[in-house]
Amino acid sequence: MTNGFKFKNKKAGDRILDSITKILRTLFLVGMAYVLLYPVLFLLSNAFRSPVDRLDPTVIWIPRTLTFNNFVLADQLIGFKDSILKTCTILVPSVMIQVFVCLMVAYGFARFQFKGRDVLFSFLLFTIIVPTSTIIIPLYVQFRFFDFFGIGQLLRIFNHGQPLTINILNTNWPFYLMSATGVGIRSGLYIYMARQFFKSMPKELEEAAWVDGCGTFKTFTRIMLPNVGSIVIVILLFSVVWHWNDYYLSVMFFVDNYPLSVGVTVLQDRLQLLTESMSAADIALGESSILEAACFVVILPMLVMYIFVQKYFTESISRSGIVG
Amino acid sequence: MEKNKISNKNISVQYPGKKKEKTRRSGLMERQSRNGWFFIAPWLVGFVYFFAIPLLKSLYYTFTKISITNDGLQFQFTGLQNYLTAFTVDPDFMRAITASIGSIIYQVPIIVFFSLFIAMILKQDFHGKTLMRSIFFLPVIISSGVVITILKENVFAGSAGQSVTLFQTGVITELLVKSGMGMPVVKMITTTVGAVFDLTWRSGVQILLLLSALHTIPDSMYEAARMEGATEWETFWKITFVLISPTLVMTIIYSIIDYFTDYSNKVMRMIVTYVNQGKYEYSTTISIIYFVIVLLLILFVDKVLSKRAYSAVN
Repeated sequence: MTNGFKFKNKKAGDRILDSITKILRTLFLVGMAYVLLYPVLFLLSNAFRSPVDRLDPTVIWIPRTLTFNNFVLADQLIGFKDSILKTCTILVPSVMIQVFVCLMVAYGFARFQFKGRDVLFSFLLFTIIVPTSTIIIPLYVQFRFFDFFGIGQLLRIFNHGQPLTINILNTNWPFYLMSATGVGIRSGLYIYMARQFFKSMPKELEEAAWVDGCGTFKTFTRIMLPNVGSIVIVILLFSVVWHWNDYYLSVMFFVDNYPLSVGVTVLQDRLQLLTESMSAADIALGESSILEAACFVVILPMLVMYIFVQKYFTESISRSGIVG
Repeated sequence: MEKNKISNKNISVQYPGKKKEKTRRSGLMERQSRNGWFFIAPWLVGFVYFFAIPLLKSLYYTFTKISITNDGLQFQFTGLQNYLTAFTVDPDFMRAITASIGSIIYQVPIIVFFSLFIAMILKQDFHGKTLMRSIFFLPVIISSGVVITILKENVFAGSAGQSVTLFQTGVITELLVKSGMGMPVVKMITTTVGAVFDLTWRSGVQILLLLSALHTIPDSMYEAARMEGATEWETFWKITFVLISPTLVMTIIYSIIDYFTDYSNKVMRMIVTYVNQGKYEYSTTISIIYFVIVLLLILFVDKVLSKRAYSAVN
C-alpha cells in the first residue's frame, strides 16, 4: 500500500533530482526546438517581408511592415487554388485506397501460412529499397501504353492485330492504380509496418470470430481493422505527407496542371526567367521572398493536419480488446 | 503452434480415425494458403505489373549499350560488359559501397538510440507537449519534399552540396574563438552540434514510429510494475523495451533503408550522376548491384532481429 503512494512521500534528495532532470529536459527540448524551428521561422520571417525590409540590414527577424504581397504574387504565378485542388484529387482517393490495400496485404503476410510467403516477402522488401527512379523509364512506357494488366494484349484480334492500349499519363490514374495494387508511394513500407503490427496482435481475436462463423474477409474488416488503432493513423499520416510532397512521380506523369509540390519548382523557374528579363532595380522585388511564401503554403496544411491527428494516436490505444 | 500440429498428427497415426483427421488438417492448411493468396493478391498484381516487369526491362538495359540516334534509342547487346566495368574497372564504385556499409554500422545505432531517447521524452507529460510533438514532426514534412531543396539553397546557403549539414557553423565558430577557446576545442564543439543537427533532421520518421509504439503500452502495466517496486531501469528493460521491440526492429530496418537510399549517400549520388551523363545503362547496372547487396543485408538483419523481438503469436 505504501508503495502505491511512493510518489507523494519522496525524499528531499529525490525531489531535487527530479527538478534537475526537469530543467535539463526543458533545456534540451528548447535547444531541439531551435534546431527544428530555425528554417521555418526563417521562411516565415521572409515570406511576410516587403522588398524594402529585405534590403534593410537592421531588420533581422521581425519585418517592419507585414505584407501579404509575396503570397499574392506567388498565387498569380502558379495559382494555389488549382494546384492545391489537383494535389487533393490525387491525394484523397489514393491515400484511402493505399491504406486499405496495404493493411489487407499486410494481414495476408502476417497471419496466413502459404508456400512461397517468405520469398514473396523478401520481394516486398526489395520494392521498398529500389527507388522508383531505377525503373522509371519502363514504368513510364507502361502508363503511356497502358494495356489493362495485359488484357489489352489479348484483345489484339479486335483491334487489327494491334494491342489495345490507352495513354493514362497526365491523369490521376497511375497514382490510383499503383495504390490499389500495393506499389504506390512507399506502399511497401506501410505493408511492412502493418505486418509487424498484425503479428503482435493476439490470435484469440480472430479465432473467436472464426468460431462464430465469420468469414475470413469479414473477420478482417469487422474484427481486425477496428482494432488496429494507432498503426492506421501513423500509416495514414505518412501516406498523406508523402503524397502531398511527392515530386518525382508527379513531374514524370503530368504534362500540365501540376500538383502543388511541382508547382513550387515551376514557380522557381518562372521567377528565374522573370529576374533575367528584369532591370537590376526590379530584382529588389525580392523573388526569394515569393518562393519562401510558397514554401510556407506547402508546409502549413501538413502541420495543421498533424496537430489535429496527433491527439488520436497519443490518446493511448489500449482499447484494443485483449491486451497481448 | 507449429509443434502442436505435428504432435497431433503423430498421435492420430495410432488411431483408426486417422484418415478423417488428416483431411481435416490439410483442409485447414489449404484454407490458410487460399486466404493468404487472396489477401496478398492486389499486391501480387502490382508487384508483377508495376515493379517486376519494369525492373526486368531495366535489367535488360544493363546488358546493352544505349545510344541515341536519329531513329530513337538503339540498344546494342554487350553481354556482361557493364557488370565487369562496375566490379573491375570503376575504381569508385566498390569503394563507395564498402564505405556506405561501413558507416551504417555506427550511423544506424546512433539514429535509433537518439530517436528512442526523443520519443521517450515526448511521451512524458509536460507543458507544451503538443507543441513539441508538432515541432518534431517538421522534419517529416520538410525533408521529404521539394521544400528541403529550396531551404538548402536559401536558408542554409553555403552548406548546400554537402550532405544534409543543416547548420551554419560560421557565427558560432566566430563567437567561440572570440571568447578565447582554442581552435581544436571549437572545432570539436561545432562538429558535435552539426552532427546533432544532422541527426535531428534524419530521425523524424523514426521518432514518430517509436512514439506511437510507446503509446500502445497500457498504463496499467507501469502501475503494476510500480506496485511491485520495480525501479525505472527495470521497468524500461522488462516492459517498455520488450513491448516496443517489434517497432524497434522496424525502426532499424527503416533507418538502414533510409540511409542507403538517401540522395546524400555516395552510391546514390553516383547513380544520379551517371543518369545525368546519359549513361543510363551503367547507372542501372550499379543500382541493381547496389540494391541487391542492400536487400541481402536487410534480410540478414531482419532475420536476426525478428527472432528476438517480442511477438504475441509465437
